[in-house]
Amino acid sequence: MMVRASHARIWVLVAGALVGLGGLAVSANAVQEAPFPHEAHQGLFPLCAGCHEGVPAGDESDFYPDPASCRGCHDGVREEAVTWSGPTGRVDNVSYSHLEHDAALEASGDPAQSCASCHILPGGQRMAVADEIQLGTCWGCHAHAATEHQVDASCDACHVPLARTAFDLARIEALPLPSDHEPGSFLERDHGVAVQENASRCATCHTQERCVSCHVDTERDVIADFPAAPPGMRLPVAVAHYNEPTTHRAGQWLTLHGAEASRAECATCHTSNDCTSCHVIPLPAAVLSMPSRDDVVAPGVRVAGRAPDSHESVFFMNAHTGLGAAGAETCATCHQETFCVSCHDAPVGNGYHPSSFLARHTADAFGRDAECSSCHSTQVFCRECHVQVGLVSSGRLGPGYHDDGPVWLIRHGQAARQNLESCASCHQQVDCTQCHGVLGAFKVSPHTVGFDAERAWGRSPRTCLACHIGNPLNE
Amino acid sequence: MTSARLHGRWGVRRAGATVCAALFMALAASVVPTMSTAQDYRGWATTSVQMVELRPLGLDTVPRADVVTDANGRLLYNGIEVSCVLPTICTGYLPLAEEQTVAATQDLSLTYWGLGVEGLSVTALARVRLHAGSDLMWPRSDDEFDAMLAYAQLQRGPMRVRAGRQDLRSGLGLSAFDGVSASYTYGSARAEIYGGRSLARGLREPSSSALRALDDFFLDHGVLLVGGSASMRTAGILTTARYHREILWDRSSLVSERASLDATTVLSRVRVTGSVDYDFSFEQVGKAELTASAPLRDGRWLVELSARRYVPYFDLSTIWGFFEPVSYSEAVARLGWSPSASLGVWVAGGARSYGATGATVILEPMKDNGWRADVGVQYAPAPRWTLDGRYQLEWGPGAFLSSVDGTARYRVNDRVSVSATALSFQQIEEYRLGQGRAFGAGATADYALTDRVGLSGGFSMIRHRDGGNVFTSPWNQGRAWTSLRFDLGGDPGMGRRPGG
Repeated sequence: MMVRASHARIWVLVAGALVGLGGLAVSANAVQEAPFPHEAHQGLFPLCAGCHEGVPAGDESDFYPDPASCRGCHDGVREEAVTWSGPTGRVDNVSYSHLEHDAALEASGDPAQSCASCHILPGGQRMAVADEIQLGTCWGCHAHAATEHQVDASCDACHVPLARTAFDLARIEALPLPSDHEPGSFLERDHGVAVQENASRCATCHTQERCVSCHVDTERDVIADFPAAPPGMRLPVAVAHYNEPTTHRAGQWLTLHGAEASRAECATCHTSNDCTSCHVIPLPAAVLSMPSRDDVVAPGVRVAGRAPDSHESVFFMNAHTGLGAAGAETCATCHQETFCVSCHDAPVGNGYHPSSFLARHTADAFGRDAECSSCHSTQVFCRECHVQVGLVSSGRLGPGYHDDGPVWLIRHGQAARQNLESCASCHQQVDCTQCHGVLGAFKVSPHTVGFDAERAWGRSPRTCLACHIGNPLNE
Repeated sequence: MTSARLHGRWGVRRAGATVCAALFMALAASVVPTMSTAQDYRGWATTSVQMVELRPLGLDTVPRADVVTDANGRLLYNGIEVSCVLPTICTGYLPLAEEQTVAATQDLSLTYWGLGVEGLSVTALARVRLHAGSDLMWPRSDDEFDAMLAYAQLQRGPMRVRAGRQDLRSGLGLSAFDGVSASYTYGSARAEIYGGRSLARGLREPSSSALRALDDFFLDHGVLLVGGSASMRTAGILTTARYHREILWDRSSLVSERASLDATTVLSRVRVTGSVDYDFSFEQVGKAELTASAPLRDGRWLVELSARRYVPYFDLSTIWGFFEPVSYSEAVARLGWSPSASLGVWVAGGARSYGATGATVILEPMKDNGWRADVGVQYAPAPRWTLDGRYQLEWGPGAFLSSVDGTARYRVNDRVSVSATALSFQQIEEYRLGQGRAFGAGATADYALTDRVGLSGGFSMIRHRDGGNVFTSPWNQGRAWTSLRFDLGGDPGMGRRPGG
């Protein structure tokens, strides 16, 4: 039994060697002269290991006999001289190891496989070595539920990653395209799931370079751990392809994306440079976590800053006040505070007001479409100019600036309460207290019937004293 | 008389200092990019000069013989009401000779990171002013130097601390202070507190010193500001609440105490923005606005409806607020239509009604409502041409404006564009006689010398034409300006200059 077992093991090893070096159709790419005529030498070599000495030990350098040994017979005298040199330049991606396989068989108590099991056609004679491996022998043990070899199988059961092969460019380009790699959906949506589920399957045909040709973030575990091509390996040119996620098509995406922004979510396609085409320093934490364009291989989508949808409204110049008040920090992601000043307080040119506003500002200011005093001190800015152009009270009681109706002085109360900011842009408070203060000429009360004098005195007694002598509640 | 006039007609002494300061700032701006080892920097420098020519009014005398009496019994001289106390001479406000002023401004804005401390930056926005010309002076141009912003900021993760002169833009308007602010962001929520010396509204100067010079009643005290805000984005609604309190340094009086609430959200495709503020000083609701904006038909139409309440705001440091100004309520509708990329039309209209003033009515009540209308069109007949037109109507108590203008803009190439504008308007100033019409024209040119340097300039001229019972030529104005802008660093926000 021992002899039989040992013999069988040798056959298995030899068969495995042949599988590894000349076998699987999917990977075979042998560069070999005419196959060795095993059958013609049937009577000379009783054991496969006699020539394939390294196979049982897994020594690939000794898988084949030295061609010089042929000349022991084929010396041109006894036998015709030959030039057989053995298989050379064989390149494949099969991961089969005769040594390991043999050990596994032995450990499982099933060392029944021999060289012939894989290398001899069923029913063939002992040295009738076939050109191709008998895959059926593999399936005898490695049967799996795969309905399609390139889709369902565990590739790494038989294949090494592409990065560990010596495939040239043509060989790589000739790798078959699995049927589930449908154009569009696989690249856009499904490949991420597939690589998470079985990265070794992807690595059979791809190297890390394929990932980083599109993926900006190369520090993700699944990419960082993906086998990289060895130096000198030529790879097909991969054109980066970025599809816009459906989330990005939402109307307010540009405004609301900050809540979901993170390196994990964004760095597949974006670099920090994309972020900083809008965001300004201080940058949000999510932006700081993003890789820089200088540090990545993939081009990224290279978005350019553009205004949010809200800015596209023709009425935005009116509306941005409320938006800014509700979320000033949102504005600050793109604009620095100095930006506001450059328009709202522009000394000349295209500022907040149209160019001819100076000549036409009267009605606008009177109607207060906007609050002038938010930016201008009516008591200083407006009055400083109005004083110089003569729009100022001179203290006289005769006809003056407000001349569209008679007895303006005693009629002005209603207008003043409607447009007091405009009054303050020309008049000083002393103009009013000439008549309205308790020391004024007419002691006309400027307050309405319901005026809460107690509240006013309690909050700002100094102001009350501008018109009153002492606590007005005691008057 | 302003301080500028005290220094003489040309302000030569101050001009020298200002020019030196401007040159220094320009030099600093030019060398920063080369000497900087900063993590980053952003900024801009703008040098601008403008000339303004207009006709002031002045109290003058006229012969009694040239004065007529109108149907209402008013004494008019060339349409101007005058007072005739003496038998041969009347007095009234008449247009004076034209005056010119030249105002130059140098702005320098710089934010600089890289001071050896992670997250530390400094921001400064300084303005230097210079004026020359007649006694006429552009507002604020006698104030040679303004540090409009000047603060250091430390940003560490969610925490931000600022110290120095800073702005607050909020539902309570624009305010500024010298002090410290600190904010903390947690997820979609943010809280901020701040405090310091309050600066006068619209001036960025201490309240007391800035205002006391012009009005004797402004209190000779500094003002202390404290406040805070909380913002949150939840369920798609962005909300900010703010509280703001100012008191005198000696704590003898409250200056202001207000709060605001602002929110915005998008419901389906409708953006809704609302704001309201409350004045604790006078215990009344202040301004409020609710706006809904909806794009229709693939965005080619835009409909916007607003309801608005406006009430003048005065703090307690003046007597104005105690005069109890009334609010007005306004409804506004806006409609925009963009059938193609080359054509856009918009129209807006609003009606407002003022609250009861409680003032004594003499003769007849004054108007207590007003209207606004605005129509505009922008059309690009060719890739390099843009035409803009706008008609504006403002009709309220004591004031009226009917104005039309049009602009043709031609982009010569990627760096040069020119435009020409024509306009005409009629207006009634505050309870003032006058029915004249003004016509104007102007032109501008913009030249981007490099990607970072832009030169622009323009002029406009407006001439008043009599229209019956009017006074003479107060609207005549001439204006010319030029501006050189230099951008430092790459601030994306700076790439879109409204109106530019």
